[in-house]
Amino acid sequence: MNSLSLSFAYLRHKVLSTALTITTFAAGVAMIVVMLLVNAQLQNEFSSNLKGIDLVVGGKGSPMQLILSSVFHLDVPTGNIPLDEAEKLGKHPMVKQAIPLALGDNYRGYRIVGTTRDYPEHYHARLKPGGRYWGKEMEAVLGSEVAASGALKPGDTFSGSHGLTSGGELHSGFPYTVVGVLEPTGTVIDRLALTGRESVWFIHEHHDHDEDEDEHQHGAHDHHHDDHADAHEHGDEREITSLLISYNSPLAAVGLPRQINSSTSMQAASPAFEIARLTAFMGTGTDTLKYFAWFLIALAGFGIFAGLYNAMNERRYDLALMRSFGARPGKLFALMMSESLVVSLVSVAAGLAMGHLLVEGIATWLAGSKHIHMTGRLFLMEEFWLIPAGLVVGALAALLPAVRVYRIDIFKTLVQR
Amino acid sequence: MLEINNLKVGYDGTTVMELPQLSLSSGEHCLILGASGSGKTTILSTISGLLAPIDGEIVLDGHSYKDLHGSAMDEFRGRHIGIIYQTLHMVSALTVLENLLLAQYAAGLPQDRDKAVNLLEHLGIAGKKNDKPETLSQGQQQRVAIARATINDPKIIVGDEPTSALDDNACETVMELLLHLASSSNASLVIATHDQRIKRHFHKQITLGGSQ
Repeated sequence: MNSLSLSFAYLRHKVLSTALTITTFAAGVAMIVVMLLVNAQLQNEFSSNLKGIDLVVGGKGSPMQLILSSVFHLDVPTGNIPLDEAEKLGKHPMVKQAIPLALGDNYRGYRIVGTTRDYPEHYHARLKPGGRYWGKEMEAVLGSEVAASGALKPGDTFSGSHGLTSGGELHSGFPYTVVGVLEPTGTVIDRLALTGRESVWFIHEHHDHDEDEDEHQHGAHDHHHDDHADAHEHGDEREITSLLISYNSPLAAVGLPRQINSSTSMQAASPAFEIARLTAFMGTGTDTLKYFAWFLIALAGFGIFAGLYNAMNERRYDLALMRSFGARPGKLFALMMSESLVVSLVSVAAGLAMGHLLVEGIATWLAGSKHIHMTGRLFLMEEFWLIPAGLVVGALAALLPAVRVYRIDIFKTLVQR
Repeated sequence: MLEINNLKVGYDGTTVMELPQLSLSSGEHCLILGASGSGKTTILSTISGLLAPIDGEIVLDGHSYKDLHGSAMDEFRGRHIGIIYQTLHMVSALTVLENLLLAQYAAGLPQDRDKAVNLLEHLGIAGKKNDKPETLSQGQQQRVAIARATINDPKIIVGDEPTSALDDNACETVMELLLHLASSSNASLVIATHDQRIKRHFHKQITLGGSQ
């Protein structure tokens, strides 16, 4: 017999209340784990999509909308920019890389993006075996999720529909051929269908001609001249939606955005700045959520404390008895501590497991959404702090009743009652 | 071995009773008789070192209680005094055998499983050693309490009404066992009771609230 075997005897004896204490404790730990994991993955999702993009250049309008539409592919674009102006900017000495994006169509709600190979390479995307990048018009490389959603593999064909959300008019006359599928990257690329810019232009030139003919039939004479000019544009002045720019030197941030905004028809927006602005907008909301989470954690902590304290308090007859048999206070202290620490350790372990299972559950549930990606199979360094933290809570909960053991009046506890 | 002089016992500052003189040599037993509320339990608790005397002196085996405080008293009690409480205070989380080992563990003595089993055999309850105390009858629990009080070979065995809840047969068996265990380790029995059936086992008797 020692303090550990005694602890186990007591824990076994009160299986239900032990289970209750462990459940409360574990639930608190699980909550913290969920918060840590979700937070880390959302942050990571933000930052991995933003990584290396210093400036986004697109049509004039809301800078926030430009960032959301071109970096995260969430909002609609602000408008198009002329290709020649964009290409001129790409050759600016302070620009290291400029990735063009041409939007317009979607496949099952996944955006079809006309771009260059720089775009997947920027996100370190790799082709799955048996695939290649597009070589000519109407060849497409799919992000992992898009391919999985349509059960598409190299050699298959699909048709895009007009617009950026599903349900638009189908371009059934111009099917794409899948030539490659990308490995999952954990970035926005997974949810895009990539193709050359030429494909997007190709489809919309034909599409626009159809519309022109419609308008001719309606006999809208005023529009005749414009239509003609439009058709002329397709030949010489092509357009793209936006440019993702990385700087050569941090000095570029000082002058380049202002230069673009004031001297061209384009708009430049800094993702870092806009995201900071967005976070500030949502600040009150996220703060409230954070305080609420801390409140719940504090509540769980108090529950743990109360559970252990109660268990220890009920023990005072037995502790008084042990003292009457000559047990030194240190021995009783060790008994209380080991029991509380065993409970804490089991609870933290159960809580960690529960937390990861919960996040995995949330991840499965969110898998239907196209914007947030999560997994419960991620382990963070911060989580390991929960083990010593849990043990400290356990030790604190046992401390008060353990100290009271020293002052217990054996006569009043055992004899008088 | 046990010397008591001018003892005043009580609690919360109130003297419940006085005991001018009591002296027991090794192996000499003593019965404390008295009606309920006459202070039997209080004086027994004081002799057990659970309650500090209000005045007077108790010396057991050469140690004055005045010199023993707090955990020193606990430790002294663990090795020299075996207590059979009126409410038996079995540890319900532990088995019968573990209840005995607990007394050894608490006193900081080596845990002698064989000795404990032998003792239980001697008391006729070895078959129950792995059962929880609450599954035992009152008489059996009383024997476990006796085993637990005697396992550390105390100098005195203090019992508060150890037989009052038992029928005549059980009462006789328990008294014989107590006397036998006490004599085998040359310990003194100090029993407080209102149970007239056990009077004949004791030469020395104190009747509280009356003459000695």
